[in-house]
Amino acid sequence: MKNLNLYPRLALDGIRKNRRLYLPYILTCSGMAAMFYIINYFQYSSAVKNMNGGDTIQATIGMGIVVLALFSAIFLFYTNSFLIRRRKKEFGLYNILGMGKRNLSVVIACETAAVAAISLVSGLLAGILLSKLAEYGLAYILGAETNYSFEVSPESILSTLKVFLLIFLLIMLNSLRQVWFSTAASLIKSESVGEKPPKANWAFGLLGIALLAGAYYIAVTITDPIVAMVTFFGAVAMVIVGTYLMMISGSVMFCRILQKLKRYYYKPNHFVSVSSMVYRMKRNGAGLASICILATMALVMISSTASLYFGAEDSLMQRYPREYNMEFIMEDFGGIADENVEKIRDTVGVSLAQFGGTPENILEYRYATVAGFLDKSAGTVETNVGYFNPYDTAALDSGLFSFYFVPLSDYNRMYGTRETLNPGEAMMYILRGSYGGSEISFNRGETLKIKKTLQTFELPGDGIVSIVSSMVLVVPDVEAAVGALAGEADFNGDRMVNPTFIYNFDTGLSEDEQAKYSAAFWESFREKMAPGENGVKTREFEGRERDRRDFYSLYGGLFFLGIILSLVFIFAAVLIIYYKQISEGYEDRSRFEIMQKVGMTSKEIRKSINSQLLTVFFLPLIFAAMHLAFAFPIIRKILLLFSLSNYILFAAVTVICFVSFAALYTLVYKITSNAYYNIVSGAKEGSS
Amino acid sequence: MSILEVSGIRKVYSSRFGGNFVEALKNVSFQVERGEFVAIMGESGSGKTTLLNILAALDKPTAGKVLLDGMDISKIRDSALAQFRRDNLGFVFQDFNLLDTFTLEDNIYLPLVLSGTPYTEMQNRLRPIATKLGIPGLMKKYPYEVSGGQKQRAAVARAIITNPKLILADEPTGALDSRSSDELLKLFSEVNGQGQTVLMVTHSVRAASVAGRVMFIRDGEIFHQLYRGADTFDSFYQKIADTLTLIATGGERA
Repeated sequence: MKNLNLYPRLALDGIRKNRRLYLPYILTCSGMAAMFYIINYFQYSSAVKNMNGGDTIQATIGMGIVVLALFSAIFLFYTNSFLIRRRKKEFGLYNILGMGKRNLSVVIACETAAVAAISLVSGLLAGILLSKLAEYGLAYILGAETNYSFEVSPESILSTLKVFLLIFLLIMLNSLRQVWFSTAASLIKSESVGEKPPKANWAFGLLGIALLAGAYYIAVTITDPIVAMVTFFGAVAMVIVGTYLMMISGSVMFCRILQKLKRYYYKPNHFVSVSSMVYRMKRNGAGLASICILATMALVMISSTASLYFGAEDSLMQRYPREYNMEFIMEDFGGIADENVEKIRDTVGVSLAQFGGTPENILEYRYATVAGFLDKSAGTVETNVGYFNPYDTAALDSGLFSFYFVPLSDYNRMYGTRETLNPGEAMMYILRGSYGGSEISFNRGETLKIKKTLQTFELPGDGIVSIVSSMVLVVPDVEAAVGALAGEADFNGDRMVNPTFIYNFDTGLSEDEQAKYSAAFWESFREKMAPGENGVKTREFEGRERDRRDFYSLYGGLFFLGIILSLVFIFAAVLIIYYKQISEGYEDRSRFEIMQKVGMTSKEIRKSINSQLLTVFFLPLIFAAMHLAFAFPIIRKILLLFSLSNYILFAAVTVICFVSFAALYTLVYKITSNAYYNIVSGAKEGSS
Repeated sequence: MSILEVSGIRKVYSSRFGGNFVEALKNVSFQVERGEFVAIMGESGSGKTTLLNILAALDKPTAGKVLLDGMDISKIRDSALAQFRRDNLGFVFQDFNLLDTFTLEDNIYLPLVLSGTPYTEMQNRLRPIATKLGIPGLMKKYPYEVSGGQKQRAAVARAIITNPKLILADEPTGALDSRSSDELLKLFSEVNGQGQTVLMVTHSVRAASVAGRVMFIRDGEIFHQLYRGADTFDSFYQKIADTLTLIATGGERA
């Protein structure tokens, strides 16, 4: 019986004796489990579901679950491999003292089980306690209300257990594999393996630089938001690979160059630090790169989602310049005749009057839309667009436009002008795009001579925030300009050209009233303007206050997800930093002993340690700042897709995020470098 | 004039709570003349490592004085000790103590770089030493890539490049095979022949036989000493071996 107790005792002893290594690992495991529980809790919680926009939130956060599960697995694997490396010597000793691999496996299994038990219990407890807090946070972000009842979600506990037990099982199998396939002697030696002098790998270093430069070039030169969205992931992949190559090979290369500069190298304060850095980079380049990538990801995520959230009001105003927007698509061009338009105006006035409002600040005009590719050199438009493949960036560059044909009379009324146009002439206004030709000809329509380019024209909200270029053509006669296109069908079989009337207005009602009455107003209005009557084919209604909730729940949900994921990434980065410092401490200890014997004063040693730590430690931060700076233009373009055009806000949020992260990073540096000093100076294990 | 004067050194170690005292050195006094090659022999636990640590200013004696070139090294402030070692002493260790992050060349330069010596002067100093030690072709290699004997020769180069007043060698042949040992010992006597004072701690009779004088230490005291005088290597070897046998069989002073 005694024998049966031995293995758990050895396992627990191993954890206790190595608590400097295990404590952060267990903390990480439980932290990850807690996050995972919380994010799952949102998925299942009825309180969240009942919030305004709760469905959108749950859909958004659902994406986060998969990301978090994958990341936890990768990261815990990484951390554990570090632990195993340090423990191998101990296992080797047990092996020599007569424990078979079978017995060692039992010890490892016990250890994994203990770690899993401790971290899952504490993680779930923390998750359950914090979930309510997180729920308040979410409610606050969404401007929603929530109740005060405390709720434990068994489904979430179950799914957390499922995912993390699987991860721990994989981790254990990996540890077993490592012990199983090595001999006692190699186990004992494993810690000091790999002391080869590092060679600068020029090819990889240069490739890294080239990849980074390429990704930066892409990020800076992209102009089209959709292209930006599509290329973003490619650029991200290039940056990740480039960073790893740079940190691993490039930095060794850089130190090698420094070593060649005799005048620089053979100075007391450079000599030791440069040569140790070559080694450090080789061993820890990957760690540094990971820290850098994690930091960049966290910063990109938090700054972009925070900008979206804080810029939601701007976006909302841009998307809904007026309080109520109405759009009528007519059966035919007769539908946009004056008498129908007059009828709509009157009906809106009457309906709105019931709620005490009057239409004001009105934007109204008629137009016909068609989409097409503009061949900018020939000045011809192919309207037979077909299925639009958003990944076909070449097609985008070739000039996809939404064309708005607007009657001259409406234009003159809107802007109080007295422009005149002959048949076959047009005035042109372009949003997001350019065209320098003097004529434009549609494949089966009229050829228009561009008389004048307009400086301004107010498109409807969905046109303003659209990512596709828009071209307004003010023409004397819309029907004539559209010509034969009017009879065509698009690739879906729908009508290609839609004669449309938009009527957008403010109501003079308060925001609360707008939200309250919008449904009733629309109800009363839609009866009077039923399809089939007055030439109306379909009609649509949008209310700024009615849609505000959806707006905020999407952006709020993204923001919340951004917070959670960047917390996880920062968490991971901090842990990597900690382990890096610890392992470097153990490696450097003997080295500094020798230097002291040879006659380096402890002051000189401390100075050289400091300069090394500083350089190596802040390298990832510097690189993260650089990545972020170059990512800025491309992310700005992508945020346009979410109708965020306030890039000063985005810049401010990004800077704030970076500064706070740098402060946190410095704090972590202070704490972990203390641990490092304690190890190097030979302070007793665990006394710090 | 003596370069090293050791008088009345006593070293007592006490256990952590002051309960047990161990007297590692009782009352050690001796002098080393400039240009001498002295070997100190003794068995494990005889106190020879303690003595060497005190001479290297790595440890402080409980009582007694160590004068290096007339300077009392126990009076040097802790903060100045490392620099004192760097400027006045050269070390050769049993396990080489070369830094794996440096090439042999840089390892040799280390003490000079720390003293802020310009690169050209370091080069000028290294060239003759490297040639003499037979390692000029290995300068760009890392300790990892060369043999033990080559490592130890680099360590010797590192010790003598600062022109120290005294070289302290702690079992320099302990980790070497017999051929490398012989080569290293030959090197030591050559270096000594050019006027360098060397003090070597060893328990190898072979190693001690190249010295000019051998001191035997037992139970924390200088037990006996032998001068080479006109002896050849072989006859001196024999004398040392005899003395050791005498000590081991518990004989009294000859």
